[in-house]
Amino acid sequence: MNSEPLLPRRHFLKNFGMGLGGVALAEMLHGSIQANEPAKGADQSGEKPHGLPHFPAKAKRVIYLFMSGGPSQLDLFDYKPLLVRRNGEQLPDSVRGGQRLTGMSGNQSSIPMVGTPFGFNQYGPSGTWISDLLPHTAAVAGELCVIKSMFTESINHGPGVTFLQTGSQVPGRPSMGAWVNYGLGCENSNLPGFVVLVTKGKGGQPLGAHLWGNGFLPSDHQGIQFRPSKDPVLYLNNPAGISAESRRLMLNRFTQLHEHQQAASPDPQIESRIANYEMAFRMQSSIPDATALSEESEATFELYGKDAKTPGTFAANCLQARRLAERGVRFIQLYHQDWDHHGGLPGAIPKLCQETDQACAALIMDLKQRGMLEDTLIVWGGEFGRTNYCQGKLSANFGRDHHPRCFTVWMAGGGVKPGMVYGETDEFGYNITQDGVHIHDLQATIMHLLGIDHEALTYKFQGRRYRLTDVHGKVVKPILA
Amino acid sequence: MNRSLFAILSLGAFVHTASAAPAPLQFNRDIRPILSDKCFGCHGPDKEHRKAGLRLDLREEAMKAPKSGDIPLKPGDPAASHILTRIMSTDADEIMPPPEAKLPKLTKAEVDTIRRWIAEGAEYQAHWSFIPVQPVPIPEPTKDTPPARTDMDRLVFAHQAKLGLKPRPEAAPSALLRRVTLDLTGLPPTPAQVRAYLADTQPGAYERLVDRLLASETFGERMASDWLDISRYADSYGFQVDRDRDVWPWRDWVIGAFNRNLPFNDFVTWQLAGDLLPNPTEEQILATAFNRLHQQESEGGSIEEEYRVETVSDRVQTFGTAFLGLTFECCKCHDHKFDPLSQKEFYQMFAFFDDIDEAGLYSFFSSNDAPTPAMKLIPANTKKRIKELEDGVTQAVARLQQIADREREKFPASLASAPAASAAIPGELARFTFDETPKTKKLANSIDPTKPVSLTGENRLVPGQSGNAVEFSGDEALNLPVGAFDRVDPFSVALWIQTPDVKERAVVFHRSKAWTDAASRGFELLIEDGRLKWSLIRFWPGDAASIRTTQPVKPGEWVHVVVGSDGSGRAAGLWISVNGQPAGVEVLKDSLSRDIGPVGHDFITLGERMRDRGFKGGKVDDVRVFSRELSRLEVLLTFNEPSAMAVFNRPAAELVGSEREFRFENYLLAYCPEFKKAQEDVKAARTELVKTLNAQREIMVMKETPKPKKAYVLFRGQYDQRRDEVFAGTPAALNPFPKGAPSNRLGLAQWLTDPTNPLLARVTVNRFWQNIFGRGITRTADDFGSQGAQPEYPEVLDWLAGRYISSGWDTKALLRTMVLSHTYRQASAADLQLLVDDPENVLLARGPRFRLAAEMIRDSFLQTSGLLVQKLGGAPVTPYEMSEAFRPADPDKGEGTFRRSLYTHWRRTSPPPAMMSFDASRRAVCSAKRERTNTPLQALILLNGPQYVEAARVLGQKLHLQTQGNPEAMIEEGFLACLSRFPDAQERRISAELYQDQLAHFAAHPNEARELLKTGRTPTDPNIPLPEAAAAAVLAQALLNHDGSVVKQ
Repeated sequence: MNSEPLLPRRHFLKNFGMGLGGVALAEMLHGSIQANEPAKGADQSGEKPHGLPHFPAKAKRVIYLFMSGGPSQLDLFDYKPLLVRRNGEQLPDSVRGGQRLTGMSGNQSSIPMVGTPFGFNQYGPSGTWISDLLPHTAAVAGELCVIKSMFTESINHGPGVTFLQTGSQVPGRPSMGAWVNYGLGCENSNLPGFVVLVTKGKGGQPLGAHLWGNGFLPSDHQGIQFRPSKDPVLYLNNPAGISAESRRLMLNRFTQLHEHQQAASPDPQIESRIANYEMAFRMQSSIPDATALSEESEATFELYGKDAKTPGTFAANCLQARRLAERGVRFIQLYHQDWDHHGGLPGAIPKLCQETDQACAALIMDLKQRGMLEDTLIVWGGEFGRTNYCQGKLSANFGRDHHPRCFTVWMAGGGVKPGMVYGETDEFGYNITQDGVHIHDLQATIMHLLGIDHEALTYKFQGRRYRLTDVHGKVVKPILA
Repeated sequence: MNRSLFAILSLGAFVHTASAAPAPLQFNRDIRPILSDKCFGCHGPDKEHRKAGLRLDLREEAMKAPKSGDIPLKPGDPAASHILTRIMSTDADEIMPPPEAKLPKLTKAEVDTIRRWIAEGAEYQAHWSFIPVQPVPIPEPTKDTPPARTDMDRLVFAHQAKLGLKPRPEAAPSALLRRVTLDLTGLPPTPAQVRAYLADTQPGAYERLVDRLLASETFGERMASDWLDISRYADSYGFQVDRDRDVWPWRDWVIGAFNRNLPFNDFVTWQLAGDLLPNPTEEQILATAFNRLHQQESEGGSIEEEYRVETVSDRVQTFGTAFLGLTFECCKCHDHKFDPLSQKEFYQMFAFFDDIDEAGLYSFFSSNDAPTPAMKLIPANTKKRIKELEDGVTQAVARLQQIADREREKFPASLASAPAASAAIPGELARFTFDETPKTKKLANSIDPTKPVSLTGENRLVPGQSGNAVEFSGDEALNLPVGAFDRVDPFSVALWIQTPDVKERAVVFHRSKAWTDAASRGFELLIEDGRLKWSLIRFWPGDAASIRTTQPVKPGEWVHVVVGSDGSGRAAGLWISVNGQPAGVEVLKDSLSRDIGPVGHDFITLGERMRDRGFKGGKVDDVRVFSRELSRLEVLLTFNEPSAMAVFNRPAAELVGSEREFRFENYLLAYCPEFKKAQEDVKAARTELVKTLNAQREIMVMKETPKPKKAYVLFRGQYDQRRDEVFAGTPAALNPFPKGAPSNRLGLAQWLTDPTNPLLARVTVNRFWQNIFGRGITRTADDFGSQGAQPEYPEVLDWLAGRYISSGWDTKALLRTMVLSHTYRQASAADLQLLVDDPENVLLARGPRFRLAAEMIRDSFLQTSGLLVQKLGGAPVTPYEMSEAFRPADPDKGEGTFRRSLYTHWRRTSPPPAMMSFDASRRAVCSAKRERTNTPLQALILLNGPQYVEAARVLGQKLHLQTQGNPEAMIEEGFLACLSRFPDAQERRISAELYQDQLAHFAAHPNEARELLKTGRTPTDPNIPLPEAAAAAVLAQALLNHDGSVVKQ
């Protein structure tokens, strides 16, 4: 963070008149939270809440593979033979227990259970059940920690995604990536600390920029969307007609103008302005370098699948995520949309799996062979699960409604136990029977793995200390390696 | 000033007096910030979460021994005060705050302060912002205090003198001109204005300048820009679906209100409660849209009540932040942890804001309709037209009455010309008795055999009232082939129904696309709380006509129901008949203002509706649809044919009493050709009127329901966890509710604007101060509570607030007072040590200097280049950057790319990306303060964004044309245009080198020059040599990006 008044206090006196070499982008984009320096939030109350990391971090960075729309856990991970046996029977009231349903199926007069039409097998040391739809994921089951007992409070997409990403169902709070970026900054001085990659051209439930927003944190902590275009970052490239040479010439004189003003009337802000323009110039080469997938080997493309050669696909974004992880980006958030299968699930979900399965597994293997899996946390999952009963009338082309009471998320690398299954649901796949993990618990755990005490990373806004996990959240200790 | 001041500042404001002077400590300034932050969370106002029964926010309580027996606070005796023991403890089980609170320990300085305060007697003070605005004596100047321009300066200087500080001299005239022009209009001065101002050596030049700026129309735009953050203004609803909505007429009202200096108490009152003023004007009602600008949801499957509660809570939260600087939202789930605000009081405030006919969701399928309550925005000439059309309807109805009166004279002789009695009813479109046992699922229509209906799914035939009936599954519809009636169509529907149980809600039949997803637009017969409810609906609940029977429908019995509409669209024109008799009804809604279509569902559907509750287990028999309003006799005919036929068959001469009346009515409605003709005239007149009304734009406003809705404390803020009922009321810790004020939003506004209210004037003055000085007198513009910052200059805040109130809330006068002061007019350049030690300029020992707001930077580029299209108000526009937004939009082809930034289309899920990089507010919730960052991403935008590159190119061309390409003159004009000052010799030299560098480069690379000059849509002057035009563009770009251009100083 580089709110005007702050940067100088740390940098100005030592950098003033010494050129620009000492000022790094991370400090300008994110800078204030270096060890023992007060952050903006701290500055308001004159305290130092951070001292980050709070304890040794297992993960240095996160790649969050967000499956927007709510993938059906019952057709992917949470195998329920009972539903297959009793396909078409009414869901017993005793199982439902007065749970609120969405307005989609809440007024439906009958709610028949529906079994998965897909095969399941067990993989890995813990015999993790995985659907035939995910053969590549199954092949890396030994790396996964599958949490079958996730639950949330939201029953609709907008609030559900917002809750998962910001800890609150109503838009306006900082995103998880923004919190991490605020707390830890970026490892690379020439790249943003929180990068967002959205699969291009997907339909499904719409996303919004508030999901990676900074909320009340300073705006330099917001997620920066890298787009599959020649300008991965907004206006990164010079306009047509301005060459690097011409820009360099201009910047040289531009800096002289500022240095002259600085000499006449010294002001820390001018130093920071000079540095920002120089850093912008450097980003014009550091970002293209980070996004140059063409440098990857054929073997790598084979690993991620043929889609990886098409910019903007989920596979290409996974590969991109690895490149960003290698370069020290702290939080990399991918979005893949269209998992919202209210109808036509048997036809639609294989396509979604086909778009994502291989690349997810490839990312794990690729990081592992580069020795990065151990300090990179990968999280896969959606905003909620799907019902064990069909929405509307049961047919071969059935659909499932939103289900907040249980769903599946998997994690890999970065300090979680590999080859583990955590939590259990009942034989109907409706309720959690063991080790429920709330959204705030998941958030607390991710923060913990990064060396952050989720209760201590706070920001004072409108008189209250806010945090990602609101006033809740427990670290899920049994899954920690 | 030396390093010690830095150390003091970094520890917090409370210490510096301790070291600067031995004056006694003050609770509010020195102690409350510590206790509030570290102790009140567990030992404060929130009784539910209070630990050990100990309360430290009240002196009496703090002096009582809790269970443990140790007295927390013993005034005058630090050693015997247990709180000191606990905060100094090194034992993890003893120390306060405890480790699990995850709060920082008290610093040594804080501990010392607490000890000294106890030693001095541990006096408490009421929280500074909760006591009424205090009269402030103006200190006598001493020979040491610098000359002041205003009384405000005297207050500032006196405080500075205590700290050993002196104000800086006045800024250079050009700097001051630039500063005040940006502050009051959001735009920089033009070169001509700079020259004119520098040439004006007459006394009072600055005052005249200020008056000119305050009188300019751009003043309102500048002020509105900040009010849009407060009001969470956006051109879309937000949440996930985030459709566009038309609320900009309210934004234009705000601009106008600032421009004509509407007193701020009126500005506030109209927005809160304009609809409740006596005989409110349209403008006063329009102002209330303020309360409706929150986000709104329409995602399929959302729960209506959940979002209604969210919506009303947002109003309370916005009210709290905007007007009181209090964080009400904390009390949504529990008592406030720091301020004396209870959860009950939150819901008392809630009760002010929930009494409108609104749905928690807006319509997914007809999102062009403004969610109710809404006001039509009708141009004056259309109003005249509507009046004529209304008169036309009145006349047509009067003629209908005349014909009825005339026919009554002729009755019953006129019966001779009528057809013989028959059980057939004219105008019947379809009839389904369900009596045959079909081979297929098709069921016959006895009126039109070509249009049968299909039985689908689990709907099935069962024994009925007579023969068969249909029993509904609740999930499948029975779609009739007829029934696309609109508001102006008289029509009737008759059917037998049997409900298996007392339905809380069930759809018997309807013509509509969906329930909440379509605002129920259309017509519908429901069972609600066991009773029949018959409605014509444009937008439920605020734009509808609806009646409900007073008696419930008996479960398990066959009941005959006929419903009808006379085409008037009024509740009085709707009727329900049960078992042949008119049913007693209550009017639920009578506010239908438009047509009830188009619906996208052009037939009557029985038993089911999208995402609504169907008629599960309900049976229906003998459904009949008529394209006219049935007479009472015909109604009887559909229920009990023999008894009706007996009346029909009575010879004319024998008709007496009610039978005669029934026959007459039937003659008129079913046969009389003149009456029928006049009915068609009425319908034609209504059709014209409704068509015109339909075409009018609407905007969401507040409109109080006749009776207040019930409000409750919601356990943990959950919408479905109602606890005690509450009634509208204001927080007890603040001024009392004015005697005789109504218990509604108007009373709330009277309470708020009452001179005894301690917060409104302070909060407002502080925010205007923030806009101009870059930081509020209390820097937490959004929190005046216990956790907010103690102001460095409370006496300045109170002096200004007192004057603001006594001036009649004259905003322009307030701003004039601020900008005429020496405090404002100081040079911003200062000793480096002061800049480093007091980076936020808390001490006001220099003039303001900070990066311009997002809007001002873009507007400055446009103004300086001459591209700005200065036009007041209008629909939102789409500039270049929106093509790069998260949900890209095509930029406007015309002037829309060159309007001021406050007119940029604000889509919440996809806000303008360049604006966001410059810390613009997202406008999801009320925001009283923006962060201010400087990042490389901003540099990329200003150097490479088409809006900014085009502006540089066009400015370069302008400079070139003005000076015939003379580089020295271009540089001078460029400095004047961008920095509002002349360059010095060094700057001339460096700029000339910059220009020559670029000239040489572009001469060698003419294609680059050609490409550069293509940026944007503004044409290039072909007479300027390419390399010169390109080099001038880059020169302009450097000057536009210069610190002196993007920073106010």
